[in-house]
Amino acid sequence: MPKEILLVEDSPGDVRLTQEAFRDANGLTQLHVAADGVEAMAFLKQEGTHVHAPRPDIILLDLNLPKMDGRQVLAQIKQDDDLKTIPTLILTTSEAEADIVKSYRLYANCYLNKPVRFDAFESLVKSINDFWLTKVKLPPRAPSG
Amino acid sequence: MRPEGRKTKAVRSSPTVAIRDLSRPDAAEKHLAQMESKYHGLLEAAPDAMVVVNQGGDIVLLNLQAEKQFGYRRDELLGQKVTNIIPVGFAERLIADDLRSTEDALAQQIGTGIELIARRKDGSEFPIEIMLSPLESAEGILVTAAIRDISARKTDEKHLAQMESKYRGLLEAAPDAMVVVNQGGDIVLLNLQAEKQFGYRRDELLGQKVKNIIPEGFAERLLADRLRSADDALAQQIGTGIELTGRRKDGSEFPIELMLSPLESAEGILVTAAIRDISVRKAAEANLLQKVKELYRSNEELEQFAYFASHDLQEPLRMVASYTQLLARRYKGKLDTDAEEFIAFAVDGASRMQRLIQDLLAYSRVGSKGMNLLEISSEGALQQALVNLRGAVEESGAVVTHDPLPAVLADEMQLVQLFQNLVANAIKYQKPGVPLVHISAARNVEKKWQFSVRDNGLGIDPQYFERIFGLFQRLHKREEFAGTGIGLAICKKIVERHGGRVWVESGPGQGSTFRFTLAASKVKS
Repeated sequence: MPKEILLVEDSPGDVRLTQEAFRDANGLTQLHVAADGVEAMAFLKQEGTHVHAPRPDIILLDLNLPKMDGRQVLAQIKQDDDLKTIPTLILTTSEAEADIVKSYRLYANCYLNKPVRFDAFESLVKSINDFWLTKVKLPPRAPSG
Repeated sequence: MRPEGRKTKAVRSSPTVAIRDLSRPDAAEKHLAQMESKYHGLLEAAPDAMVVVNQGGDIVLLNLQAEKQFGYRRDELLGQKVTNIIPVGFAERLIADDLRSTEDALAQQIGTGIELIARRKDGSEFPIEIMLSPLESAEGILVTAAIRDISARKTDEKHLAQMESKYRGLLEAAPDAMVVVNQGGDIVLLNLQAEKQFGYRRDELLGQKVKNIIPEGFAERLLADRLRSADDALAQQIGTGIELTGRRKDGSEFPIELMLSPLESAEGILVTAAIRDISVRKAAEANLLQKVKELYRSNEELEQFAYFASHDLQEPLRMVASYTQLLARRYKGKLDTDAEEFIAFAVDGASRMQRLIQDLLAYSRVGSKGMNLLEISSEGALQQALVNLRGAVEESGAVVTHDPLPAVLADEMQLVQLFQNLVANAIKYQKPGVPLVHISAARNVEKKWQFSVRDNGLGIDPQYFERIFGLFQRLHKREEFAGTGIGLAICKKIVERHGGRVWVESGPGQGSTFRFTLAASKVKS
């Protein structure tokens, strides 16, 4: 069964790059994209056009987003009994200590910096695939309870 | 007009004759002679020259002091006119005139010091003060004149007057406004500068309160209070520059600096205040402060700008670099050689720019991030740097050794970066062979730690010793050695932010030794 990933990212260049990197890393991943925080929450809650959206196995979340930013999205996910079990990985260019601390306080599962070089980015995506999508045991997709 | 006067004149007789006549054996005259001899004793004992004169102005008696003072023998003076020795002002005083009797004329002079000019036998003159007193005698009222030579006092007075005029000259010549104030705060003297500075005429200020021109802080300083006497109050102010505000006649105010000094006078201690208009200095100070503030802010802005610019430039560049790399990889062998060459240049340019921006970011971060100065092991910092450089060390086959290194007061992250840049350079700029790098530390004369990173590499021509620490300065072509020319600039910034110094000792083909100093930690290692 392919792995479902929700990528919350507003930069089309980054979206495509991530898609390419995942395609090279694991042909069986299904990458869904939300371009801002509001859309991300609609996707997760299967609202509006996302009624048939699958529940993602992991979420890749950028911090700086239009409308509702990544920190708010993270807070809402982790306050939601149903959604909080989904591993949420912060993937951002911000190296600010304040962002790192805040993300973990809001129960981010890990904090990753987007590498500057493409080969480094590829290798990071490979690591994500190897760890979160391969080695890690994830909770069942169907909501429990 | 006054009958007594005329009568006195009529009975006038020569006292010399009377004295000569003393030999007559007559009881009354004998008594007089006794009196006179007693009087004579007193006369000779007096410290002043004494001359007794009758109302005709003839000298009838004199003492030894008089002989000495005027340079005559006694017999040369007796019976002579007193005008011979005091030409003007004495004889006239004894004579009755139309307005008064002899007694009255005399009474008016008694007891007061009269300043006159005396003449010696040799014709020289000198200032005297005479005190007159009446002496009743058989021949009528005689006048005893005590004559004091006041040459010395006159010289003193002249000197004093000269001093005063000199002082006034000084006062007027002073470049500052000068105001002399008494302890009541009244202006008793001022100079031209003071008139100019405060916009008053002299007579508008004399006798006025100094508070009119210096509203606050001056008069208060002169006053005694419960804690100190007036002298103490003043003593505390003397010689120190006091900054106050002056007020001109037109009400405008200006900053002044005051220097006080005491001035002894007959009316007690006066205070001389030298008042300098410091408007220009104050304005310059304010201007300088403003400039420093602006410079500080602009410097801060520049560092912020460098940081944010390089950070934000990184984003679009990441896209360019990533996609050209992706392009190069995906289409390798599918495009013609021209296309592949173009893509290769684009990839190379983008990745060089990325390195440049990352180094620039690192450089600006050294300035914009706060320093976390702690007592740390410099050896630990070097170890961390070597871990970060493991790839480069292994690739080059370099042998990196070090002596035991001390504890220092430094920001650990920055010290790691410093070692990392210096060791990386030592490995990078090499000639064929095994790169040898050795790190050591020793105390210098300033009791600071002086670190040395020595290599056996290419070495550096002394003419470049300064330049290599500048931003974007490179000594080699890109084909020889890649690099952004920022590494040593970062080293310099780190060392200088730690209050140290960095320099290089080298020569072409001799290897290089980079040295830098750091403050020692308090605990000895």
